[in-house]
Amino acid sequence: MASNHSNEFKISKFEAPQNLKAIMFACLFVGLVTFILGFIKNPERMWTSYLVSFFFFGCLAVGAMFFIAFNFAVKAGWSSSIRRFAEAMTNYMPVFLISAFVLILGFKKLYVWNDPASLAALSGGKSLYLAPWFVSVRMILFIVGCWVFGKLIVGNSIKQDITGEHALTNKNIKYSIGFIAFFAIFFTMFSFDLMMSLLPTWYSTIFGIYCFAGAIQATIAVLAIIVVMMKKSKWISGYVNDEHQHDVAKFLKGFTVFWAYIAFSQFMLIWYANIPEETEYYIMRSLNGWMGVSFALLIFRFIVPFLVLLPRGAKRNDSILVAVSILVLVMQYVDIYWMVYPNFFDGIPQFGFWEIGIFLGFLGLFIMTMIQFMTKNNLVAINDPRIHEAVNHHVTY
Amino acid sequence: MAKKRVIGGMAAIFLKESQVLQAATAARASGFIKFDAISPYPIHGMEEACGIERSSIPYVTFGAGALGLLLSLGLVYYTSVLNWPINVGGKPMFSLPAFIPIMFELTVLFAALCSVGALFYHAKMPKIDPPTIDKDLTSHKFAIFIPENDTGYNEDRITRMMNELGAAEVKKVAEY
Repeated sequence: MASNHSNEFKISKFEAPQNLKAIMFACLFVGLVTFILGFIKNPERMWTSYLVSFFFFGCLAVGAMFFIAFNFAVKAGWSSSIRRFAEAMTNYMPVFLISAFVLILGFKKLYVWNDPASLAALSGGKSLYLAPWFVSVRMILFIVGCWVFGKLIVGNSIKQDITGEHALTNKNIKYSIGFIAFFAIFFTMFSFDLMMSLLPTWYSTIFGIYCFAGAIQATIAVLAIIVVMMKKSKWISGYVNDEHQHDVAKFLKGFTVFWAYIAFSQFMLIWYANIPEETEYYIMRSLNGWMGVSFALLIFRFIVPFLVLLPRGAKRNDSILVAVSILVLVMQYVDIYWMVYPNFFDGIPQFGFWEIGIFLGFLGLFIMTMIQFMTKNNLVAINDPRIHEAVNHHVTY
Repeated sequence: MAKKRVIGGMAAIFLKESQVLQAATAARASGFIKFDAISPYPIHGMEEACGIERSSIPYVTFGAGALGLLLSLGLVYYTSVLNWPINVGGKPMFSLPAFIPIMFELTVLFAALCSVGALFYHAKMPKIDPPTIDKDLTSHKFAIFIPENDTGYNEDRITRMMNELGAAEVKKVAEY
């Protein structure tokens, strides 16, 4: 057996390091100040920035739910020792819901359809579909739905730590399949409503999958960072090792390819058909300096992570994997930014204090919810019936 | 393709996965290098126990994929730009987005076919009708096979060692 299996297995209570807490409070403070300042002084920039960060962190939370769900649905064994980290990410759901209610306040600065006259002018049933109350209801339903599924699935998983009942895992399989169906429909609408409708005359049926691909890629990147950190930490020994890191890195590379595939599929069909109402979207993103951002997405979101993560050694190397994960997360932000910003400020890229401040605020909230979850619960699902598969996991070359 | 040649040797049959893993480790520790472990399914840690190095198939895959990419670019460039240019929708003759699906497909085709080819080469396949060591090796038994041309081959020594490791049966057989 490989040497890393001879470790003794132990987990201890997670305590957030003081400097992490300090960073968290600093982030929260900066975020709050930016939000209030922006609300008074520069609401346009504040709301566009808010939308990008709201979508970014919301995607991480629901992406983590999706990760848990597909691992349950396929009865994956190897991931049961790292599943708890993804479960910690879903603890963001209440913040996601509250920030969605806050976002509704910003509709009038963000969306053309919030104005009744412009809404009535939209054709093809869009004036009904994009009625502000209907959009709000769909968004809230999506988040509440994810929260409820999260309570059920993660709740069962935590309960199993104490009772050790195998039936809870079987129940979670059913919930997970239900969640995947729910997620497919509602996440598509969520991305249509918040991102695609920024330009309500434009449409692309693959848009939901595009947002999904980016969201899952970013979620796996966060998971990869946590796995590397936990592997080296003093709280866990034996349960998380290079083998799990290797498989998470494979997922990261897989979804990198998936994102590129979907992004190219969307682009190529629009480019080939060359119909004015469709090309509008890409024309906006090729003028006024946006061409550089578009190419940056291609290079740093696909080509670089793909080639860097190709060798086996790179996937098992802590610093390479963390560097690629951070690059992917930066590009996920750039991707959402690239979907939102060309619609505003005469199509000229704007980036600065407002974007960074709001992002840090959300980051603080995200770290806060994760710390809260990890402090309260075990770091590993110790009584999972498949935990022995995870600790004996071995990636053959 | 490698030459097919029947080699005699000793086979130790085991009934437990853990035993065969131990036996492989022990065989390697006592200096055998050409031995093989036979199992109905993949066993975790067997590669390390047998001292099997990583194969070169991934490099073949990458090289073949890169080759396929370049050849397909050459193919579409020659056919659509040089030899028979056709104006489609006013787009430039050399329109990379239109070529990418073809480049992608040929990259995958080259990489996949060459990987399979490399696998066959490495595994010395096809092996038609090899001598059977034990019929149950395809269902519930495991074996360590040590060929007679291995360093330090000694029938008595192997029999003793394998019996100590809990072999259900040690016999003289032939393999490829």
